[in-house]
Amino acid sequence: MSSATDEEEGGPLRRWTRDAIQNPGSTYRGLFYVVTLFFLVTTLFPFYWLLVLALTPGDQMRNIGLLPNGFNPYAFVEMFERLPFHVYMFNSIVIALTTTVIVLLVGSFAGYAFGRLRFRGKTPLLLLLLAISYFPPAAFILPLFQLFTGNVTLVTLPVVGAVQSPNWFNTPGAMVTPFSALFLPLSIFILTTFYSQIPDGLEDAARVEGTTRIGALFRVIIPLSAPGVATAGVLTFIGVYNEFFISFLMTDGQAENWAPIVWGVVNYQGQYQAFYNLMAAASIVGVLPVVILVVVAQERIVSGLTAGALKE
Amino acid sequence: MATRDGSSRSRLRSAAIAPANWTERLSEQQFAYVLLVPTFLLVSTMAVWPLLRTFQMSFQADALYTADYVGEFVGLSNYVELLDGTRDAVLGSPFVSLSNPLDSAVMVTLVYVAIAVVLETVIGFGQALVLDQDFRGRRWVRVSILIPWAVPIAIQGMIFWLFFQPDIGFATALLQDLGVFGQNPLTRTVDSMVIIIVADVWKTSAFMALLILAGLQSVDRSLYDVARVAGASTWQRFKYVTFPLVLPALLVAMLFRTIQSMRVYGIIETTAGCNTVPSLTCLVVSTFRAGRYGTAAAVAFITAGLVALVAMIYIVKFADLEVGA
Repeated sequence: MSSATDEEEGGPLRRWTRDAIQNPGSTYRGLFYVVTLFFLVTTLFPFYWLLVLALTPGDQMRNIGLLPNGFNPYAFVEMFERLPFHVYMFNSIVIALTTTVIVLLVGSFAGYAFGRLRFRGKTPLLLLLLAISYFPPAAFILPLFQLFTGNVTLVTLPVVGAVQSPNWFNTPGAMVTPFSALFLPLSIFILTTFYSQIPDGLEDAARVEGTTRIGALFRVIIPLSAPGVATAGVLTFIGVYNEFFISFLMTDGQAENWAPIVWGVVNYQGQYQAFYNLMAAASIVGVLPVVILVVVAQERIVSGLTAGALKE
Repeated sequence: MATRDGSSRSRLRSAAIAPANWTERLSEQQFAYVLLVPTFLLVSTMAVWPLLRTFQMSFQADALYTADYVGEFVGLSNYVELLDGTRDAVLGSPFVSLSNPLDSAVMVTLVYVAIAVVLETVIGFGQALVLDQDFRGRRWVRVSILIPWAVPIAIQGMIFWLFFQPDIGFATALLQDLGVFGQNPLTRTVDSMVIIIVADVWKTSAFMALLILAGLQSVDRSLYDVARVAGASTWQRFKYVTFPLVLPALLVAMLFRTIQSMRVYGIIETTAGCNTVPSLTCLVVSTFRAGRYGTAAAVAFITAGLVALVAMIYIVKFADLEVGA
């Protein structure tokens, strides 16, 4: 960037302006790369900074710039020792997987009915499912909390007396059951779309071979709709793994009481305020399962989000 | 071993066959209802019953000193006292306050939703326009834009909490020097609102982008050729072709984001805390933990009502578009 060349060429800025006027296409191209770069930096920078923080030794936690003050990878070991973060993650994954299996099974039955059968009351029932997803979780939590702490009388029998609801507080059941209901509508909408697109001929052929209707669902419809099932499954898993409100309120926060990842984070903030490097390490490890899922299943996520939303 | 395995499998199969055969005798309509039984068992116990019960509780008094959750029927007084400010002492922060808007739950929630959704729409539109182009590495750009969307709310909170810790987060020092933030931004309402909005925009713009992208890709490409032949500039092509055709998808995306961001709670709990930024859901949790079930139920239903009101505005706007088209 010597001044001599600047004078010869009329300065880089002027040269650039001249090029831009003569050739607007390349300017748009350049602008496009700048905008793309901006989006990449803004979405990924927080993760880079977490890594910087995690690698910085605990006693160097001041005025951290863009590079770590030192190099201490043991934060990724210590984060499991201070708090059993692996147990919180395990709990979250078990809860999310169980919910996904229930949602896919129940949602497949419903998706088959809504997508392939004619019956009275179809539209009102679909609208009811849609209406439920409008309500904020805060409008469900009070009775659900009473239900799962064993404080709701289910039935009063003449001999046995009052039958109380089960005490599921601090168990996966208190999270899996409400999640299954609250994430069900989205999966039903996705599966209905996919199941309705399977040609009737294929199902009829299986039926002529002697398969029952249920058999045809599991042997023909579901295998042929594998992308749709995968989409519904991935979205449910991510949704449950990311859920905050019910996860936060349905356990007391102890790892051995099935507290999910939400509580791992909250407990770190509450008990280990100064261990910023451990918190950063825990955040990185905690997002890994969903980041892997996004990289592997991005096509499914994109089609699911757009199909699920734009259909309604 | 093999025979036992075989017999248990055949027993399992016969157990599955019996109900499967039974469904063969049902009419199409009956079969549909049978298939829907599990769905409606789940939805009615986990969603419909809790909603109705919460609605009922919102008409009952708080019962702090008895074994029951709620006291006697009090009609609309929970709602009335929340709205006229009589209940503010119980809540810890005012419910609605026009003189001091950022202290009150309703105003905090509405301001947050309005700013966040507008920013997400603009940024999401930008991201969608980028993803609509054909270029090498598009797949990876889409993955990296999508990753924040998949980050658990708790970890999103942790990230932004760490960002703005006074002693380590470099963002704090920078913004203090610029005079934007105070000493500890996560204890000041306005600063925290900004942080929470930025966190929300970071996480959810991708959702907007994907919905808008779906709208963009359904636009008939030959319309652009027509516009180009007619001499329209790039900006005019965007204004007269792209934007009107994407508008329905855009409104649906905004509706979804509005409904979701009205529930804001987790990101507040893990960054600034509910005392600094009292959203409506924050009030539900704090009154619920204080044992004031009647009040909590009323706040929850006012939230649901606000969501419904805002959703109606979008739906009316959407219906206008359909009629106009």
